[in-house]
Amino acid sequence: MKFKTFDIIPHDTKFDFVGKRHIAVVLSLAANLAVILWAVFHGLNFGVDFAGGTEMEVKFSKQVDPGEIRKAVEALGFTGASVQTYGPEGENSYLIRVERIALLSHDDVQKVGAAVKAKLPSAGEPQFNPEVGDKIDFEFQGAPPSPDELKAAVESAGVKVREVREEQGLGAGKRSFAVITQGIQEKVEHDLAAKFADANPDVRRVEYVGPAVGRELRNQGFKAVLYAMGLIVVYVGLRFDFRFAPGVIIALIHDAIITFGFFAFSGREFNLTSVAVVLTIVGYSVNDTVVVYDRIRENMGKLKGKSLGDVVNISINEVLGRTFLTSFATALSLVGLLVYGVGTIFDFSMAMIFGIISGTYSSWFIAAPMTIWLEERAEKKKAHPAAAPARAAR
Amino acid sequence: MERSWYWRVAIIVGVLLFSTYQLIPSWHYFKLPPDERSGEVFEKSVPRWAPDASKHLNLGLDLQGGIHLSMGVDVERAVKAKIVRRSDELADFLREKGVPVESSAPAGDGTRIEVRSSDPGKVQSTVLDQYGTEMQAVSGAPQGAVWFSFRPKAIQDFQAKAVEQAEKIIRNRVDRWGVTEPDIKRKGNNQIQIQLPGFKDPEKAKELLGRTAQLEFKITDDDSTVLDAMRGELPACEYGDRGLKMPLPEAGCWTVEQIELPNGNARQVTFLAANTRTQLEQAIAQHAKPKLQPNQEIGIGEGTGGQGPLATRFYRSYLLRAKTELTGDYIADARAAVDQSDRGGQRPVVVFTMSPEGGRLMEKLTTNNLGRRMATVLDGKVETAPYIQGKISTNGQITLGSGRDYQAMYQEANDIALVLKAGALPAPVTIFEERTVGATLGPELIRKGTTAALVGLILVALFMVAYYRMTGLIADLALVLNGLLVLAIMSILGSTLTLPGIAGFVLTLGMAVDANVLINERIREELRAGKTVRQAVDQGYDKVFWTIVDSHVTTLVAGLVLMQYGSGPVRGFAVTLIIGLVASMFTSIVVTRAFMDYFTRGDTARLSV
Repeated sequence: MKFKTFDIIPHDTKFDFVGKRHIAVVLSLAANLAVILWAVFHGLNFGVDFAGGTEMEVKFSKQVDPGEIRKAVEALGFTGASVQTYGPEGENSYLIRVERIALLSHDDVQKVGAAVKAKLPSAGEPQFNPEVGDKIDFEFQGAPPSPDELKAAVESAGVKVREVREEQGLGAGKRSFAVITQGIQEKVEHDLAAKFADANPDVRRVEYVGPAVGRELRNQGFKAVLYAMGLIVVYVGLRFDFRFAPGVIIALIHDAIITFGFFAFSGREFNLTSVAVVLTIVGYSVNDTVVVYDRIRENMGKLKGKSLGDVVNISINEVLGRTFLTSFATALSLVGLLVYGVGTIFDFSMAMIFGIISGTYSSWFIAAPMTIWLEERAEKKKAHPAAAPARAAR
Repeated sequence: MERSWYWRVAIIVGVLLFSTYQLIPSWHYFKLPPDERSGEVFEKSVPRWAPDASKHLNLGLDLQGGIHLSMGVDVERAVKAKIVRRSDELADFLREKGVPVESSAPAGDGTRIEVRSSDPGKVQSTVLDQYGTEMQAVSGAPQGAVWFSFRPKAIQDFQAKAVEQAEKIIRNRVDRWGVTEPDIKRKGNNQIQIQLPGFKDPEKAKELLGRTAQLEFKITDDDSTVLDAMRGELPACEYGDRGLKMPLPEAGCWTVEQIELPNGNARQVTFLAANTRTQLEQAIAQHAKPKLQPNQEIGIGEGTGGQGPLATRFYRSYLLRAKTELTGDYIADARAAVDQSDRGGQRPVVVFTMSPEGGRLMEKLTTNNLGRRMATVLDGKVETAPYIQGKISTNGQITLGSGRDYQAMYQEANDIALVLKAGALPAPVTIFEERTVGATLGPELIRKGTTAALVGLILVALFMVAYYRMTGLIADLALVLNGLLVLAIMSILGSTLTLPGIAGFVLTLGMAVDANVLINERIREELRAGKTVRQAVDQGYDKVFWTIVDSHVTTLVAGLVLMQYGSGPVRGFAVTLIIGLVASMFTSIVVTRAFMDYFTRGDTARLSV
């Protein structure tokens, strides 16, 4: 009795992957280049993790025009505020992002400084750092005012004060005060509540990240992806043969860029979770490549006499079904997250599925065929030695 | 069946039982409404025979609401303040040594100290003699002046200490609010990361950087017997063979310590002890406060009960004289050092220096209270209460109680030095990063996340059964065990489940199935080649084994890198991914193999694959 199975992908395909590699390489190169160019010229929609700034998730009880929200936020003095719908339709959740973390501007601080000096002559220059937040430091030489006096002086400049606290002064006879003023969250919350009273805005999540921290996280994220790639390539090189390593590197970079491309083209927010996706894809997309390489290694022993190109072709065709099915099963597990996922998790699953598809594609068309291409080039060099050494030999 | 098969089945059943057993605390934890999850209600709901109640899955900040703060310590400002202080100190020091000084003040934007004098050479040599390890002379000073700066190493040390100090103060304050499972750790060079799950008041969280920490010195009132009356009202603390028996009664308990009085007598001084600060505060309000005289107050400190790995912290009271004798402003410096002169060998001590004015106050205080204990109170918490053994003026030394190993004592000396320095130089702290998740968002995310996870897993399970039939069903059983095992390991580690963590959980289960797809496809291939079922199964598992190992390792590498990089929810994802991969190696290879071997025993076995 012959063993029969139902296969989604027939088990006796004879597709010429190696022969088609040129088309594949051109396609992939074009896709990768498009992602890079887009990222460079159009930019990425960096989340607050990486760009720094303040991000608020606000839920309304009924539908609100995002344009209106943006107008309301910009009316508070934030240029370049972005408002996005967040999560599925009907949730009426919006993500409001402003680039600043301090509500105060330098102009405000100057006004405050003048007002304080007018009332309290012993005050020094106000110290303010927009990267730190809504805090103004004052130093007093000589008799310091009471916190209430200082508060009144600051508020006379039209800035709402939340708290005044005394800090240790730098030097003898000096007293320092930190004046904490109303922050972005409070202001936006208050303002939205007034403007959209009938839609009950509810601020559900607030994140704020200083620009310096954002830059650091971005650099570290990039490094993390590079480290992971390096380690994986070394592992694959050790387990197989360093001849295979270049193919793995190219496939890895390819998959990382394609996953990254999802964020670039869709305009979805690129944040810490996105780095997690790219890293996971870097680890996962090698799986199919490993399956292919394993088969190549097995077949190289069995099919002696065939060219490397043939061995690679036969091998890929033999494992075509399973490399497809593994990716299919993993992608299937993410379907629930796509349907019920909110916000970040939706993007997570979508990008992951992109990466998984790219990983399977690259193990068929990029990783092993690239290895052959590199081998052939090396052999050509051997066969036709470069002119200079040849002359020397004569 | 082969002998090894029985062993494997025994291991699988063992793992199944163990996982289920480990999940009992988590089960009870999530059964309770969120408000009751912390504390006694939960601990009581977990059966006695179950694993330790503290070993349960936690919900991340994103799922239960709470606050994530990242605070930066303004080390620059702390260094500037140090330079200001040191310049004053130098002037006093030089005058004391009889070196002429006109002025000593910070210069060059606060990076160096300029000392003006009629004898600059003498100034330089005198200062470097005393402070040479920390300071250096800088060239370029004008006529009649010397420039000093801190050595880079000293500045580095100092900055590190400033951050350590800020962390300690933050810990103390968070501790006082009674937040369950706060997570405070240092990040990078000058940042402190704080996670307060379930904490809902961002304004209060900012209190963390509120007023600078106050350091006060108070004298303990060991002569007073007012608290002895508590002995009738409360149970006495029980002692085991290793100190106080933990945990203490919930209402707190009283016990005594042997204290030597200045007149040479010793007395059993009564104090209160309780498990948490809140419990102790209640006991104090109820039993101790009403008995106090107007000039007395109660301080709260910490103690350790039990010994070795079983040691637990408890909170205890100190009876203090209400008057603040001295404040931390007068401390110039403090550090841990080793006293070589001690007869018992080297002994860690705390060495501190007072400012000149502080020295005079300290001298008066120590002369009047010789033989009493002086409590160091930082931010309202008694950190240590050493005996005053001699007159102290500018330079003092705190000797620690003996009987512990050198490392522990040095650590304590370092801690106390840190406390003293907190008075000397409060490091200003600012918020760099703040993430607040409202409590309303959490339950919704949990519900959606769980539904999403279940839908995905059911789809995968259905696919496996539809495509591989019997063999697919086996893979599904392994998948269930995999899920249990992952959750159990996470419970044991007390891991935090975040929203990306749920996604990671689903993803690893999806990946776990990959291994079975590879195995089953290989079996199909071997059957197609005409092998018997038995041979095909053996070959399928053997030939695919290394492929599976390799693919797991590569993903594991990515997971480990991610764990190093990420914080918060992303770290939760990485942890889940890693645990999931390890568990999947076991279930998709060992577990399914045991089932397969059972169904394909004998030479005429049939298999639907």
